[in-house]
Amino acid sequence: MQNIKLLLLPPLLCMLHASDALAQHHPTPDEDQHEEAPQHTQKEREPSLPEGMTLEQTLALAAKPPPEHFPQALHDDMVLGFFLWDQLEYRAPMAAQAGMLGWEGNAWLGGDFNRVVLKPQGEVELSEPRALETENDLLYSRLIAPFWSAQAGVQYANSWALEGAYEDRWSAALAIQGIAPGKFEVDASVYLSQALALTGELEVEYDWRLTQRLVLQPRVELALAIQDIPERQIGAGISDISAGLRLRYELKRELAPYLGVQYQARTFESADRTRAAGGDPRQFMALAGLRFAFL
Amino acid sequence: MSDDKPHALLFSRRDYLLASGAALAGLIFAPSRALARPQHPATLRELDATSAQGIDLYIKRERVMVGAKPGKAITINGSFPGPVIRMQEGKQALIRVHNQMKEATSVHWHGILLPFTMDGVPGISFEGIAAGETFTYRYEVTQSGTYWYHSHSGFQEQLGQYGQIIIDPRTPDTVSHDVEHSLVLSDWTFEQPEDIFQKLKKIEGYFNFQRPTLANFGAQVRRSEMSAGEVLRMRARWNRMRMDPTDIADVTGATYAYLINGRTAQENPTFLASMGQRVRLRLVNASAMTYFDVRIPGVPMLVVQADGQDVEPVEVDELRIAVAETYDVIVTLPDDAARTIFAETMDRSGFARATLAPRQGMASSIPARRARPMLGMADMGMMHDMKGMDHKQMKPADMKGGMEGMDHGAMSHEGSKHEGIPLTNLPERREHGPGEHGPASITMAESAYRRFMEPGIGLGDDGWRVLTYAKLRARGPLPGRRAPTREIDMHLTGNMQKYIWGFDGKKWSESDMLQLVYGERVRINFFNDTMMTHPIHLHGMWMDLYAGHSYDKNPRKHTVSVQPAELLSVDITVDAPGQWAFHCHLLYHMEAGMFRTVAVVKSLSEEAVHAEH
Repeated sequence: MQNIKLLLLPPLLCMLHASDALAQHHPTPDEDQHEEAPQHTQKEREPSLPEGMTLEQTLALAAKPPPEHFPQALHDDMVLGFFLWDQLEYRAPMAAQAGMLGWEGNAWLGGDFNRVVLKPQGEVELSEPRALETENDLLYSRLIAPFWSAQAGVQYANSWALEGAYEDRWSAALAIQGIAPGKFEVDASVYLSQALALTGELEVEYDWRLTQRLVLQPRVELALAIQDIPERQIGAGISDISAGLRLRYELKRELAPYLGVQYQARTFESADRTRAAGGDPRQFMALAGLRFAFL
Repeated sequence: MSDDKPHALLFSRRDYLLASGAALAGLIFAPSRALARPQHPATLRELDATSAQGIDLYIKRERVMVGAKPGKAITINGSFPGPVIRMQEGKQALIRVHNQMKEATSVHWHGILLPFTMDGVPGISFEGIAAGETFTYRYEVTQSGTYWYHSHSGFQEQLGQYGQIIIDPRTPDTVSHDVEHSLVLSDWTFEQPEDIFQKLKKIEGYFNFQRPTLANFGAQVRRSEMSAGEVLRMRARWNRMRMDPTDIADVTGATYAYLINGRTAQENPTFLASMGQRVRLRLVNASAMTYFDVRIPGVPMLVVQADGQDVEPVEVDELRIAVAETYDVIVTLPDDAARTIFAETMDRSGFARATLAPRQGMASSIPARRARPMLGMADMGMMHDMKGMDHKQMKPADMKGGMEGMDHGAMSHEGSKHEGIPLTNLPERREHGPGEHGPASITMAESAYRRFMEPGIGLGDDGWRVLTYAKLRARGPLPGRRAPTREIDMHLTGNMQKYIWGFDGKKWSESDMLQLVYGERVRINFFNDTMMTHPIHLHGMWMDLYAGHSYDKNPRKHTVSVQPAELLSVDITVDAPGQWAFHCHLLYHMEAGMFRTVAVVKSLSEEAVHAEH
């Protein structure tokens, strides 16, 4: 680790070097006459050296990376994980007697810049026909700007009904997630399914703080498709809109029960297709849920 | 205003019940393990480290009482804070640190000039002190004044591993006093500091319960002297920037208890002094994250030392002590009554409190708490602020007249320069574009400017005298005041949303060592691109702080507080060979990466040396 040659340097030589270094940077008396750099009678401090080491040795040591057996000075590149259940709620549609359990989460694992992100969401009917639908995005996420992450990965979506068949679908996914001016939380994704159907989703929400713990969160969602997707009752264009309002009380930042309302509608072509299939394209529902996070 | 009454009267019945309940719980649940208690009500034990046999420090994890509640602290010789370590200038300090914990530790001597291998930063100056091991610190004491020591390992400092250092000068002390008291201010949490860090990293503003809300809209309108429409527009403006004007402190009274010598405000530690005595208070801010505004209502404070260094005495009514700074003040009780030493946090979310009194058992009233401040356009480097905001900010034209306590002689030395680097009249403002430091930096300010004549956010509008850096004038002559030959610009950067902190948009682990050449005199210009105030600490060498004075009057500091959008310059005589830590002293900023390794080398190398091995 230490240079043998340096060890052999006589202390005298080191002192010479030291005074050289100082002289190099000292203003000469001549300079001082037209400079106003103050002249001090007091001497500058002698270097404090580690026991048994010369100045040269110390300077040489300082030019090297820290020795291997030293611990890392700082752990500023830790891998952390976070799981936020943004929504875990009971949904009670006004028109139907059957309620649903809905959820939406956002989890990440990684460092400050590179993360793996999981965005699960889904809904299950709590009474017959107990249909279940989920969409789960697994993405690599990179912080590309102070408020924005670019994400790429896959989506696995499935649907299942008690008497029906299990259906699922893989899609390639690209997303931009972050905070837009105005403090709007934005998540915009595009999906290309196995069947080469191109769709998009936009979610925007805002936390309006009524008090330090009471937060009203408006949220809008928009789904669109490039082409007709008959098997999913989707027509080209804007296919779904939803607007929700959730009022939560933060018992802790990571634990907040809430009440809310939500309106969701299938639109245009998609509404017609839903009607044709015997469904109601519009729903208005009351919500009660819990927003919580694992830190 | 200060009425004598037994301090017991200040406790409510509920507090008493809580306290006795906790004591009872302690008896029931911890019968075999006695809780460590400080020996004295307020004063700390002292050890002489320059005595022939040296001293032993035993570092241990222990349960202690913090107020009426038991907490898990790191104690030094059974107490937290640790004992006051006395030293004598010119002698050899000998300190054996015994690690009685199950984890590695370290002790750093804050502000002390010593060989770098004795500096106590694991990974830079040494290996650290492994569990069960002893490390012997041995160094010559070449300075005098008030300093402090603390762990430099992980978050241990937050748990109480700190204490004061007093070095008695070789020559007669320039400051005379009749009595002296050590006051160690700190922040305490019953949470694990690792958990606090995780919360900060994962949920923005986790500990801020003073945010703008619908409910406090009216109060803001009343306080700001703005119309409702203007307040609304201003809020919209902050929202557009995705910033929070109340983000003054990352960790607040929501989790912290604020302590003086390990005692809560309710415990009211009492320091004794008789009427008319010259009392020297040695103040250290050993907090992990908290700036304090210290005052003693009715008693002016004569500031005589800053960061252990003599300054020309300046009388103030209040001073802001940044994290890791030290100040020595002289105070005198004007009568036979008690006075409150009041230390309010910068974000006004809490306070520490002690009493200066002629006898034990006396107390004075606690001053009314002030409203929390809000950041303004001036904190974004903007000149034209909105009505009612930042009336303190001066336009350049007013500045010369407005700089109280400045050396007007120095102002007339127009254009005095050395190799293009001016010694006085440094540029008032420097432009820098936004966003050049990547995703780890949210930069709102497009320029940085001198703020050393400002006391800092939320201070200075109370009608009494407050300390500013412009009021600190070194009592010289000091060695090494040569003209700098090199300038380094350093941006303080952060992404508060993701809680990433660094310099020039880079964390320590992404950075190369900052090389300084042994023997050179270098100027570092700090540009605070963030909206927070950061205490920047350089190990091993002094920073001569540009405070607008003639060159030899600028104060010498180990820690400098940099306000939002501030351009602050320090000149350093690079006289300490080795590798040194250089960092923001807000513990969680440091751990997030606001840290550099400084290498003092023989000559600048072509190839950069990465900070990590």
